[in-house]
Amino acid sequence: MTFISDTYYMFLRWMKKLVRNPILLFFSLFQPIIFLLLFTQLFSSFGVLLGVNYTLFATAGIVLQNAFSSAFQSGTAIVDDIKSGFLAKILATPASRASILLGRLLSDAFRVFAQSLIILLLAYGLGVFPATGILGYILILVTVAFFGLAWSGISLALGLRTKSAETVFGIAGTLTFPLLFMSTALMKPQLMPTWMQNVSAYNPISFAVNAIRDLIMTGYVWNSFSQAYGVISLIAVLTLGATLYEFRKVVS
Amino acid sequence: MPAVQVENLVKTYGDGTQAVKGISFKVDEGEFFGFLGPNGAGKSTTIKILTTLLRKTSGLANVAGHDIEHDPQKVRKLIGVQMQDTVIDEDLTGRENLTLQGHLHQMHGEELKERVNTLLKIVDLENAADKRSAYYSGGMKKRLDLASTLVHRPKILFLDEPTTGLDPQSRATVWSYLKELNQEGITIFITTQYLEEVDRLCRRLAILDHGEIVAQGSPSDLKSEIGADRITLGFENGNPGAGALKDKAKQVLSNLGGITEVVDSDEGIVIYVKNGGFLVPDIVRAFDGAGIKLASIGVSSPTLDDVFLKHTGRRIRPEEIDKSRASGMFGRRRR
Ligand SMILES: Nc1ncnc2c1ncn2[C@@H]1O[C@H](COP(=O)(O)OP(=O)(O)OP(=O)(O)O)[C@@H](O)[C@H]1O
Ligand SMILES: [Mg+2]
Repeated sequence: MTFISDTYYMFLRWMKKLVRNPILLFFSLFQPIIFLLLFTQLFSSFGVLLGVNYTLFATAGIVLQNAFSSAFQSGTAIVDDIKSGFLAKILATPASRASILLGRLLSDAFRVFAQSLIILLLAYGLGVFPATGILGYILILVTVAFFGLAWSGISLALGLRTKSAETVFGIAGTLTFPLLFMSTALMKPQLMPTWMQNVSAYNPISFAVNAIRDLIMTGYVWNSFSQAYGVISLIAVLTLGATLYEFRKVVS
Repeated sequence: MPAVQVENLVKTYGDGTQAVKGISFKVDEGEFFGFLGPNGAGKSTTIKILTTLLRKTSGLANVAGHDIEHDPQKVRKLIGVQMQDTVIDEDLTGRENLTLQGHLHQMHGEELKERVNTLLKIVDLENAADKRSAYYSGGMKKRLDLASTLVHRPKILFLDEPTTGLDPQSRATVWSYLKELNQEGITIFITTQYLEEVDRLCRRLAILDHGEIVAQGSPSDLKSEIGADRITLGFENGNPGAGALKDKAKQVLSNLGGITEVVDSDEGIVIYVKNGGFLVPDIVRAFDGAGIKLASIGVSSPTLDDVFLKHTGRRIRPEEIDKSRASGMFGRRRR
């Protein structure tokens, strides 16, 4: 089955590119770290209002925010490959077409996994340890990676469609903060205006945040966990479907 | 079985551009085939279709015995492609670039390692093999790109201007390597601006213009088709591009006997005539009489340049021609 080995080599290529661009690596981690250090300080009095330790509360949101913005790198990477002709070069080989996308998506998932691990370690330094212990760490990382993979689909589809890194960045920049703030990432719904509560209730980020927050603050909560996986799976199906559709158009 | 067989191939781009308008040609196995044409003729478009990267609008194309539309995977296994723009992954080293190509062609282990080493040696990149290719010079990148198309020992090589941008020495190296590859039995399908090399190496060639094949055959057949020497007339007052002078000159020429063809070119006027040397004094005298000032006059036996000019009305590349014109010149008159 050449599909598996092709995917592996595509994945490997992206991982090499990632570690060879340490500046990119650094800056993609910079924002969540700033969030973790500054937001939790700035909003620590919210914790009093909410009746929780805010650092503990916000960690889930920051992990998710990082996954969200990190996923948008995928689209710009594929634009680079289209523009440079490298995608065409790969397409001229017998490499499995699907492996080209999957290799990229797996590298996205892996990157988010590693970034989230770093954030969690920093948070540990700030006194955050999941109620669910080591297994909780693993579940958190897997969930975030799955979320990252699903979101990467959006940026991949956008990149394939617009063939413009600026557009992908622009859309990412526009979406990040509204979606983040209108979710449970940094705030409990009770403290939001009603309309925002409604948005937040349907915001996919909220579902993922709630599941991870429960793993950190409460323990195993089947309800939030299954809902999160349901929502993320749905996103994955939609975004990867869109990606495949756009990819077909580029490939033909 | 031909290596490439194309029948009535048509490509119309989404914006309505008719890049290829129903071309037919055949490349035999083991052939060194030149695919020439001015800018925008449709060469790259044709190569992209034959290498399964672009969908044709209509027509038939077989590459290495497989239909490009029905069996693209089989085609991809047997071909190597070098695109017009250099394509390598600059974050990877030269060795990694080649190895990745091998992996995607299902090559592994020692066999692949050795193959990569051999190629690095051939394209003279051994010393830079483990350096990131972002730091390669333009010529090194181009050579790496060429090597990366060869890793899996393709049966047919499609090369879109592989030596453009190389210094003369690397260019010569690449051409002689291509010759070797061809002698080993690899079919070569190449587009290039270097007509001298085409003349030396290509067994057959086709000339494409505005999406149509305007001539095909062996270099010697195409040259002898012209059947005449070339006289190049250059005018003072810059080029006579502005019609009046040129028209007047043509008028004068039409009164002279033996001229097969008069063609406008970038430099002035090109005349094809049997035994060109004998006509020169007549031309000079006639132009003197008509008061047309000639800046230069040159005679040469036909080259692929002339074939190209005759069929497309254009020179392939002005700066290249300057050199060959200088060598073909025997008289220069100034007053
Ligand atoms: N993607 C595209 N969409 C629309 N038109 C295109 C596209 N690609 C090429 N063309 C047009 O098709 C024609 C043929 O282009 P092509 O690149 O095949 O020419 P070429 O012979 O390779 O030229 P050159 O010597 O400059 O490389 C040109 O008119 C070009 O503008
Ligand atoms: Mg071209």
